[in-house]
Amino acid sequence: MKKVWVMLFVLLLGAVLAGCGKEEASGNEDSTKVDVSRVRVLIGSSSTGGDTYQNADAVTRYLEKELDTNAKVDAVGANRAFDELAKAKTDGSSVMFFHDMAYLGVEYGSFDEKYSLENWTVGPVVALNPGNAFLAKADAPFDTMAESAEWLKSNPDKTIKVAIEAGGVSQIGFDAYYLWVKEEYGTEVSDRIKVYVTGSQSDKDQALWDGNVDIIHGSVSSNAQYTEEGVEDKIKMKFVGITSSERLEGYEIPTFAEQGIKVDGKEFTFDKEYFFLLPKDIDQAFVDKLDQAIAEVVKNPDYAKDLSVNAFVVNHIPMEEAEAHLTEKRDILSNIIKNGPDLNEITAN
Amino acid sequence: MEAFEILTPLSIILCIVGVFVGIIFGAIPGMTATMAIAIFLPITYALDLIDSLGLLLGLYVGGISGGLVPAILMNIPGTPSSICTTFDGYPMTQKGQGESALKVGITASLIGGIFSLAILYFFAPVLASVAIDFSSVEKFLIILFALTVIASLSSGSLLGGIFSGFLGVYISLIGFFADNNQLRLVPSLLENELYYGFALLPVLIGLFAITQILQEAETGMKSSPYQKFEFSKKDKFSFKVFNGQWMNTLRSSAIGTFVGILPGVGGSAASILAYSQAKNFSKHPDKLGKGEPEGVIASEASNNGLTGGALIPLLSLGIPGDSTTAVLVGAFLLQGIQVGPLFITSNPDLWSGIVYALLIANVIMFFMMFLAIKYMAKLVYVPKQIIYPIIIVMCVVGAYAINNGVIFDVWTLLLFGLAGFVFTKIGIQVAPFLIGFILGKDLEKYFIDSLKGSGGDVTIFFTKGPIALVLWGLILISIVFSLVQSRKTKHANNGVDTPV
Repeated sequence: MKKVWVMLFVLLLGAVLAGCGKEEASGNEDSTKVDVSRVRVLIGSSSTGGDTYQNADAVTRYLEKELDTNAKVDAVGANRAFDELAKAKTDGSSVMFFHDMAYLGVEYGSFDEKYSLENWTVGPVVALNPGNAFLAKADAPFDTMAESAEWLKSNPDKTIKVAIEAGGVSQIGFDAYYLWVKEEYGTEVSDRIKVYVTGSQSDKDQALWDGNVDIIHGSVSSNAQYTEEGVEDKIKMKFVGITSSERLEGYEIPTFAEQGIKVDGKEFTFDKEYFFLLPKDIDQAFVDKLDQAIAEVVKNPDYAKDLSVNAFVVNHIPMEEAEAHLTEKRDILSNIIKNGPDLNEITAN
Repeated sequence: MEAFEILTPLSIILCIVGVFVGIIFGAIPGMTATMAIAIFLPITYALDLIDSLGLLLGLYVGGISGGLVPAILMNIPGTPSSICTTFDGYPMTQKGQGESALKVGITASLIGGIFSLAILYFFAPVLASVAIDFSSVEKFLIILFALTVIASLSSGSLLGGIFSGFLGVYISLIGFFADNNQLRLVPSLLENELYYGFALLPVLIGLFAITQILQEAETGMKSSPYQKFEFSKKDKFSFKVFNGQWMNTLRSSAIGTFVGILPGVGGSAASILAYSQAKNFSKHPDKLGKGEPEGVIASEASNNGLTGGALIPLLSLGIPGDSTTAVLVGAFLLQGIQVGPLFITSNPDLWSGIVYALLIANVIMFFMMFLAIKYMAKLVYVPKQIIYPIIIVMCVVGAYAINNGVIFDVWTLLLFGLAGFVFTKIGIQVAPFLIGFILGKDLEKYFIDSLKGSGGDVTIFFTKGPIALVLWGLILISIVFSLVQSRKTKHANNGVDTPV
């Protein structure tokens, strides 16, 4: 009996160690050799339920077929993803997939300067989330962001608290709203807009349900479920604006532009875009292969169909134009960031 | 939806494997259900959630049930929750009724497990629908209540328990603080490693596997001088043993389920409470402890009753009911799923999957143990000096792989394994520490959110509404109860009579 146990355990131990050895063997290959047999897609979010993961998962599934490789999304969070990308080999075995927060976070000071766009090779842009939205409780006394400012003006003893995540996509939309109210209604009204800084989408939803805030940042993909008929009053919400340039098909949500929200005299629009970031000195052969593969993926109607489930749309910008596109977008937004309010001064307390 | 539309064939196979491995862990003295789940957690990374839950729930049910084998045959509880099984189980073995005792225990385990599953199925959605109304104030108070209950009911002093819980909270706060985008409590040398704090899974595996092995190493790992036993051929089991015992079985199952609902109170408390009640209600209390099936039924029905009960606060409030379900939180985190009041309504298929998987696990456990008990009994002779080194290797590989190859996670595993060992020496309790660690960030977040929502007014914790006041009442009761208990124990130890 004892011998049988010893044999079983030796076999088990051997299997475990063999598994480790295999990993090690593939990791010891020449770092300059192009290797697309295994691609790790690091994402800037640690959640596997959010829009970043949903987009990364969709593109990765189609990409691995085009590249004839194995690819896996790894939800490690922004800081670790940047850190690992900085240390990654140049063969393409580790790439990053993220959205506009990649550069907005640097502009807002949430991420270190060393993670700025200039220190990476910007990969292709693949998709867009036109559902970058703001919501209020279903029984709120206003139906749009613009009406909320009007409501503040008519109720001088009231304040409006807005839940956002600091240093990200939600802050840019808030900054635009705040700057517009300040310009349009003066500081008497804008001083009564307070910010409630919190983390994930579920934290923002909870803050609204708790009555701790009046408006939250959200997205059509994750918040539409709370706006439907039949939802309990306690958790029912309504959309009060989206930042995209056009209305989203199938939804009656007015855009910021339609509502007349302008910054520096220009209508404010912002679409959240998803793209790849690659190590600075990435092997050109891998870059070419990735760019071609993405060009094929975005043509695939099944990919577009998968994206549409969560109200995302295909938005392809090939690599040679991607960096210029994102840098230009960043420069326009950096003006809003520069003039935007200091969150420490307008935090609700 | 039908069970087989939700459960994949793989999830059922993994559930069977889980029950089998769980029984092995439960049957080997010193190894527990919690340890089994902690060790197998990294493997679930590659699986879908429903498949991984099949495996983990199988391990949970198997691990709790397997503990009765050494308790009955060797007078050594395989898991802490089978302590009371030894009281009557072992004397039955001495009387040549070992096989009967095991089968009585296995049947009682099945009934306890199914009973608690029914309570889970009907009660968790109700509790969750009430919990949707909880604001950050009530959520903060619930976590505070959970921590005081854990501290007051777990072994050791109240102060030690509270200290352990808040030490866990403190350690959980290490890392990035989202409200101001700053790092805190992080030494500059470890800024990259501790950016998001200590990863939960290496902490769990360290506390429950490495600590246990260090403790075993301290007591010595030479082949234990276990007495060999032989099943008597005259010993025939009959379900007639349960005649007149249905009340005892149901009462013990209910006690186990109720104790499971209380956060942090382990299976040993359920087993002791059910056994003492069986004795109070017994027609012949003097016979208990001398080899009566009644005692085995009480202990085993209650400790399996715990399984469904402990899942109730986890799936309806997001608060783990015991250390094993605390480890299950890790499985949900790995899959990016947050457990809380919206869990059941947002994930109806997953919720049904959990209920079906638990049901299947209980039935498989019954047939596997009932039909093969003679072979299962041999598990108690597994040489630990061979199995433990393999477990250490599995833990290290698992910790390294869990975040795709982060060596700091292996250091975390070893650090917390060692810390857990030291904790037991200096009176810090591991269960409150772990639950504090898991709930620490939420405790802080709900505290800050409450203050942000109230404009910094601390009185909001008392003025929010009737639910908040009820929760304060419960917190107070748990502290007073604990103080009275510790006073009684102190007096009893000093040989002074205490009024009851």
